[in-house]
Amino acid sequence: MPEATREVSVRPASELDIGDIVRIDEKIGGDYRPEVWERRLGYYIRRDPDASVVAESTDGRVVGFMLGEVRSGEFGLEHPTGWVEVLGVDPDFRGRAVGRQMAEAMLEHFRSRGAIEVRTLVDEEAMGDVAGFFRSLGFEPAPLQPFVMQL
Amino acid sequence: MNLRAASLPKKFHDAVLGWKDTFLPDWNFLMDNWEKHFPNDRKMELCAYREMGMCDEIEVGDHKGKPKYTRASEMHPDQAAHIFGAIKAQASTEFGSIQQHRLTLARAQHEEEQFWVLRMMAEELRHGYQMLHLLVEDDWSSVAQESSADLVEEILSMTTGSHVLGAFNIDFDSFVDNVVFCCLIDRVGKYQLSMQRVSAYKPMAESMPQMLREEAFHLATGVVPMRRWAQQAAEGEVYITMEMLQKAINKWLPRGLEMFGDERGGGTNVRFGLKPLKNAEAQDQYYEEVRKVVRDLNMRYLRARLPELDLPAANEALDKLEAGEVVHGVKPEELLYLPHKDFFRRRGVPAFTKTGARGETFDTLQGYLDHLRRTLPESYLAAIDFRQFVEKLREVEAGETTPEEASRELPTLRRIAGSCPCSKSVRWVVEAPQTAVESGNGGNGHTQAPAAG
Repeated sequence: MPEATREVSVRPASELDIGDIVRIDEKIGGDYRPEVWERRLGYYIRRDPDASVVAESTDGRVVGFMLGEVRSGEFGLEHPTGWVEVLGVDPDFRGRAVGRQMAEAMLEHFRSRGAIEVRTLVDEEAMGDVAGFFRSLGFEPAPLQPFVMQL
Repeated sequence: MNLRAASLPKKFHDAVLGWKDTFLPDWNFLMDNWEKHFPNDRKMELCAYREMGMCDEIEVGDHKGKPKYTRASEMHPDQAAHIFGAIKAQASTEFGSIQQHRLTLARAQHEEEQFWVLRMMAEELRHGYQMLHLLVEDDWSSVAQESSADLVEEILSMTTGSHVLGAFNIDFDSFVDNVVFCCLIDRVGKYQLSMQRVSAYKPMAESMPQMLREEAFHLATGVVPMRRWAQQAAEGEVYITMEMLQKAINKWLPRGLEMFGDERGGGTNVRFGLKPLKNAEAQDQYYEEVRKVVRDLNMRYLRARLPELDLPAANEALDKLEAGEVVHGVKPEELLYLPHKDFFRRRGVPAFTKTGARGETFDTLQGYLDHLRRTLPESYLAAIDFRQFVEKLREVEAGETTPEEASRELPTLRRIAGSCPCSKSVRWVVEAPQTAVESGNGGNGHTQAPAAG
């Protein structure tokens, strides 16, 4: 692991992190969306508080978050599957393997919950950097077809 | 994560079910509407969970590195007495909070918030069940005279006013109490559970992980509505003001701080390997955590009050407001503040010291009482709990008693009405006709098949 990764530690996300996740999301996307994250983090904490994680810098500041869960039930995916669903890293902390450390902690938890694989969905055209991140972790394109219909 | 589920022996399981029917009658309503509010979440079950595969060695204290105790009989009687008292106190809080929450649950303005609290209550019942399981599964005869049946009976018979810890003897006045209680008092619970996760008594340690997972949602049940209320208050909504939130924080935070025990104590628990932190250390961490909650709520308020501010400007404005400046027409007194640690205390080092909410001290009793009248919720001023505090404070001020004596005398609140009369007249634990007589070593829980992780 690169030397720089020692700058952060990873722990399960909690309700105390809502404000920090709102802040990071705003720094990334420019929109202030507290309602979105109150609802989303509330959901993940309710489902499995150990599955979602945040990264803290040495001064205790939250600099990244990764939310997900273990579930089954999608068509053809009846076995327990870990899903990485949201990822955000403070732009000031990019390039320091923050996402990788969060992913490692999350995958370890998924294994402990009996998941035999982990999945995520990325719009590769719009978010190539995110796709590259998951590829660097060992994720590969899967024969799972997302279907969409315009409403 | 490797959970093992277990049930209490039938007569105790039935006793808890009977208690549930009296104090948590909305259980079935919750289960009937579970999918609507918690889609795809596994429906909760009333059972005890033990986490398998946890550390086998004592993690702190004088016996660090030695094997953890699996039975009470393996411990020194003083250790067993400590852990026995902790289990009873924990059980009392779990059942006690349900009795408090039920009073004002129906007054919630939003169905979602109401169901969150209702689910939390159901999980507290499971936590109480978990503690009863610890009590009846082991032989506590070295430290307890009562039979298992009498222990269960004693705990299930407690009502608001007779619980072990003060915070659980105070009636709720509105749904604001339900939510602020979750934010502040359940947060203490999180600390206690986290510390007991390393307990030298292995059954206790194994009981904590699932309780902690559930407790995480209980804290969100407090914080998320408070954040929404702060936003609505900033937007001029009439229902719940920042002043109401502040007064509720003033009501509950002192009780939360006292739940850690006297600031000078806790060393024995550490030496015995039952907890990793002394009382004051844990209390300090808790207090700083609440400081973060207050700042986050203020930020939520400020961003709604001044939506034109971007993130850096909002941070700067909040810093100035916390320093006492008026910023863009927003006054510091509009925001929440963290009450001083010594405010409105009745236990521990600062008990009965006439310290104000912002740390100011009062020379006269009347001046302090006027301050309490201004800083506590109006409805709480009419509560017996507040009256008894004031009476003890008067006695301390008059030199008729010491703060220590006053602290010891306070938890026993007289209760003449308000709880279900059944709780006074019905025995919760009923012996089945063919059941063998219960001895002091209790019955063994029925171990079930492993639960899905």
